[in-house]
Amino acid sequence: MTNYRVAVDIGGTFTDIVIEDSQGSVRLGKIPTTPENPAQGVIEGIKKFVDEPTNIEFFVHGTTVGLNAFLQRRGERVLLIMSEGISDTYTIARGPRLNLYQLQYQKPEQLVPRSDVFEVSERVSWDGEVLKPLRNTDFDEVIEIARREKVKAVAVCFLHAYAYPEHELQARELLQQALPGVSISLSHDVAKEWREYERASSTVMNAYIAPVVERYLASLKHELAEIEVDSEVHIMQSSGGVMKASVAEEKPVYTLLSGPVGGTIAGAALAKSSARPNLLCVDMGGTSFDLSLVVDGKASTTLETTLEGLPLLMSIVDIQTIGTGGGSIAWSEAKSMRVGPHSAGSVPGPVCYGRGGTEPTVTDANFFLGRLGAASLLSGDMELSTQVTREAIEKKAAELDMDPVAYAEGILQISNAAMADAMRTITVKQGIDPREFSLVAFGGAGPMAAVFLAAELDIDEVIVPRFPGTFSAWGMLQTDLRHDLSRPFFFGASEVTEASLNGTLKNIEAEAQSLLEKDLSEDNEVSFHWSADMRYVGQEFSINVPVAVNADVAAIIDRFHHSHEQRHGHATRDNPVEFVNLRVTAFGAIDKYENSFKPADGTKDAQIGRRKAIFGGESHETIVLQRDYLVPGDTYHGPLVIEEQSATSIVPPGCEIQLDTLGNVIVRLNKNES
Amino acid sequence: MKAENKQVDPVTTEIIRNAFTSIAEDMNATLIRSAYTPVIYEGKDCAVALIDANGEVLGQSLGLPLFLGNLELCIKLIAEKNGWDYFKEGDVIYTNDAYITGTHLNDATIIIPIFRDGKRIGFAASRAHWLDVGAKDPGQPVDSHEIYQEGVRWGPTRLYKNGKARDDVIDLLRQNSRFGDELVGDLNAQIAAGRIGDMRLQTLYDRFGENTITAARERIFEQTRLQEQNSIAAIEDGSYYAEGTLDDDGLGSDPVPIKVRIDVKGENMEVNLDGSSPQVRGCINCGITQTIAAVRVGFKHIVNPESPVNGGSFQSLTVTAAPGSMFYAQEPAACAWYFSSLGLLIDLIGKALAPALPDKAAGAHYGDSMVVYIGGEDPRKNNTRFLMVEPTTGGWGGFNGGDGADSLINLVNGSFRDLPIEIFESKYPVLIRSYGIRTDSGGAGCYRGGNGTYREYELKSEASVTLWFERSHTAAWGLLGGKDGIGPEISINEPGEKTRHCLKANSLSLKPGTVIKTQTGGGGGWGEPEKRDRKLIESDIKNRYISREHARELYGYLE
Repeated sequence: MTNYRVAVDIGGTFTDIVIEDSQGSVRLGKIPTTPENPAQGVIEGIKKFVDEPTNIEFFVHGTTVGLNAFLQRRGERVLLIMSEGISDTYTIARGPRLNLYQLQYQKPEQLVPRSDVFEVSERVSWDGEVLKPLRNTDFDEVIEIARREKVKAVAVCFLHAYAYPEHELQARELLQQALPGVSISLSHDVAKEWREYERASSTVMNAYIAPVVERYLASLKHELAEIEVDSEVHIMQSSGGVMKASVAEEKPVYTLLSGPVGGTIAGAALAKSSARPNLLCVDMGGTSFDLSLVVDGKASTTLETTLEGLPLLMSIVDIQTIGTGGGSIAWSEAKSMRVGPHSAGSVPGPVCYGRGGTEPTVTDANFFLGRLGAASLLSGDMELSTQVTREAIEKKAAELDMDPVAYAEGILQISNAAMADAMRTITVKQGIDPREFSLVAFGGAGPMAAVFLAAELDIDEVIVPRFPGTFSAWGMLQTDLRHDLSRPFFFGASEVTEASLNGTLKNIEAEAQSLLEKDLSEDNEVSFHWSADMRYVGQEFSINVPVAVNADVAAIIDRFHHSHEQRHGHATRDNPVEFVNLRVTAFGAIDKYENSFKPADGTKDAQIGRRKAIFGGESHETIVLQRDYLVPGDTYHGPLVIEEQSATSIVPPGCEIQLDTLGNVIVRLNKNES
Repeated sequence: MKAENKQVDPVTTEIIRNAFTSIAEDMNATLIRSAYTPVIYEGKDCAVALIDANGEVLGQSLGLPLFLGNLELCIKLIAEKNGWDYFKEGDVIYTNDAYITGTHLNDATIIIPIFRDGKRIGFAASRAHWLDVGAKDPGQPVDSHEIYQEGVRWGPTRLYKNGKARDDVIDLLRQNSRFGDELVGDLNAQIAAGRIGDMRLQTLYDRFGENTITAARERIFEQTRLQEQNSIAAIEDGSYYAEGTLDDDGLGSDPVPIKVRIDVKGENMEVNLDGSSPQVRGCINCGITQTIAAVRVGFKHIVNPESPVNGGSFQSLTVTAAPGSMFYAQEPAACAWYFSSLGLLIDLIGKALAPALPDKAAGAHYGDSMVVYIGGEDPRKNNTRFLMVEPTTGGWGGFNGGDGADSLINLVNGSFRDLPIEIFESKYPVLIRSYGIRTDSGGAGCYRGGNGTYREYELKSEASVTLWFERSHTAAWGLLGGKDGIGPEISINEPGEKTRHCLKANSLSLKPGTVIKTQTGGGGGWGEPEKRDRKLIESDIKNRYISREHARELYGYLE
């Protein structure tokens, strides 16, 4: 009997599906996303691509339902309850002016208007003393409004609840009794970290998307049952682990960046299999360009992020979005040439899509230069229009008295240089030298730009992995169950003993263990990763430092100095150090299949055609390769175009490619020629 | 292959233009990453610029607005005094001379000349706020009346010569600071930023060659110059005026007048500050360099705010101030709080130009940093000493199409964030009793001014409190019929004493249990209140931004 492991990643335009079977083969498919009810697309995809849905053993899903509800502001109305006297901290949002030259500045719009923020009398001091007990009658007004106006979500954030949650727990009990069926989000539950505004913002986000995510998961589970898929639904978390759907219903905020993180996790899997610990992961679609890092074999994560200006405290894969993509538009200003950041998006899209776009984009330039073939996209499902593209580029070139070919190449040179500049700044910020990394390119447009970006950054190797167009979905099959727990531990390093530190970590670990036990059968392997947020006294932001089991405090402090040096270029060993939080990340291994890459046997010629393409102002006879027919070890020299089901790779003159034994295309750049 | 042609194509020009900005971004990222003190790496109180051999900006990272277009002026001023040959290969030059840099002594300017084959091709420059440079009080004093009280003043001084550090000089810097090691750490971060600028400019020269870069630079400057000229030409010719006053000079003087006259003629704009106060005894004076930079910020708010700053910027803008005036301070004028004056100056530039550019202007903002210092010993932590310093947010002006922001940090503080109450109470023996938006404090208007902020501090131990609040005398004004915002207020309730009111105070000794309530002002409104959409008024009432009484009195709103 053949069993399946299935990953489904819902994107804006397409829903990607990757299926591994127990015989060791992998299939992939793409079907149009069904925005009205995304679950419908998921079901259709399974029906279309999986022969026996009942044999699905493991089902993982990257969902954008929560993110879309947020981006389109279609979440639930939330009532927010905070401590007496300070509820405006939520609306003030710490008051920074983020665009320094804008006189007419407006703050990011909060999800809860000030009229829906309430105060109740209660106050706990910084060290846990109850200064004012919680007054139950203060809840009457909120309860009354919630009942009358049929509000489905309430968020609670009290001062110092990250350490002393008793009042929040009392509030929950009271609210649950009075408002059955209403989703209650408590701040210490969502993010056990200090900073009341950031915590309130995270809690509100959780409450805002909770009912939407819950309804979606219920509908998905129902429809899966209809086609007799009885495996449990797993959801990709923003942290890069997976969780069961039941957990996602309680902590929907963890699903927010469920989709894009798959690519980075796939990168981490690739780092391991290909023995290249440091990877720069470039995910380029039609409208955006996401950059993330794999360092020492691990996806680089952060403990905090912002979405449209609103902060979120949670463990999240660190993905930086750069405003350039295949859809970036070329334009003119003061007799000079600019590219982006405006994008043609997917509607109308680039001119060559023939859907009414009139301004030339990066994709149009690739097409005009012959690097992209008329039938290169989606295995020929989408035919590109030559005539309109030529006209659009000629018109723009004429405005600047330029030759159309030079103009088209210019679009690519400018956008590549700008992307590379942005990538360099992001890595410099983290104290990382991109030259020590290999570049992994995926997403529909990633492999088109990757080699040029690598050249700009002085990187000598580009990897185009298997299934670059559905790499994120594939990544979801490579991950494990994950829970992130934290507890405040605010002590000067000199006050901390091995006993207090290890004792607290063991307590958190026990809590994590019991969460995993709920999820796993007894024979799954579990592991725990301990860490501490630490900083020099006087700093606000901390650094997360790994902690070994039963490590002594001096060793941890030493590790902190070391991490600080790595991140900031210096350490001050005489300065006092303090602890802020302790964290435990728990992993529960999920069973996976062996699936080794089965290369083509060489009976079909990989070279499926030739066409003229322009590189460096000259027309080159360019070989078109079909990736599926490549044989490991065979070497080809650029200029080349490699076509496959979900992406096109462009390899300029001076580079050579080889398929490795794992099925990755490895591009080597010749550093002496550029 | 180097393309050594004088004619440079638009593609190369655009790549070089982006590269200049990107080099500055990398310098900035390096400085922030490796700085030692939170005021730089968290408060971002710094700026960097990549500058060409003639002292023109190639690229600047958008740092603190007040430092906009200032670093190149420092270099030009030094060259004017000492000649361009003063800058030698292997130099690292430091200055904090307020009469050169224009700011206060805490702001350290580090200049690294960049050489290639023995020829100067540019400069990497940075500015960062150092925690302490040996003033009479820790940090910066509020009551100084001579610059000698504000720290050690350094004219341009080589900290490195022929590529070698002058350890004796650097030690002198270290020894004259209460936080000497941090100072040297921040200095090294600035040097590291400069080295990145040097390295990346050299790489750009390797790739494109000098001729191409020079030609591209000319085109880039020309583009910017043309854009600005077009924007100024679109303003109706004429003279535009505005004036206002600061409450006092910090030492209890009469209100201090500031006057702005802007002459627009064709493609040129002249900003004249004649009639502004002569330099004052208190510490609100500033050097001419910083005055010019502040005028540029006011200009930039209105003219092409999105486009990057380079050597083509501000070519059509001239600034005139009389030597010996508060905006062209001479030794020994005190300068520690120079930014209070500049906050008002920048607002006044907007006010003067508002009649010509009503859609680009906005009502005035609450105006100053509104700083509270609380210091003492923390009984919870074995009486270790603490010093808390924080600015407070307030209301911004309304503008055509939108209300001013409520509780937003003032202009000169950039992207500063307030200290969360949870961190505040854990760090200091103070309870924050309340913190919120001050209803009815924004000026009424078709688009209303933003509201100010209140914050109540309850001292849990004996403490020394210093206050610097401003802009009560000239409240945040409205534009085109919009009303003024309400000014700031502070009340101090000490157990057993009568309530006191004051806006500035130096080292008040206060008992445990004292409650200090600060309230910052609101912003000015834009357009006549009668024209405000009723739905917006109702929403404001519902959200408690305005009271029903306010709605009735100022908007004539009847339910």
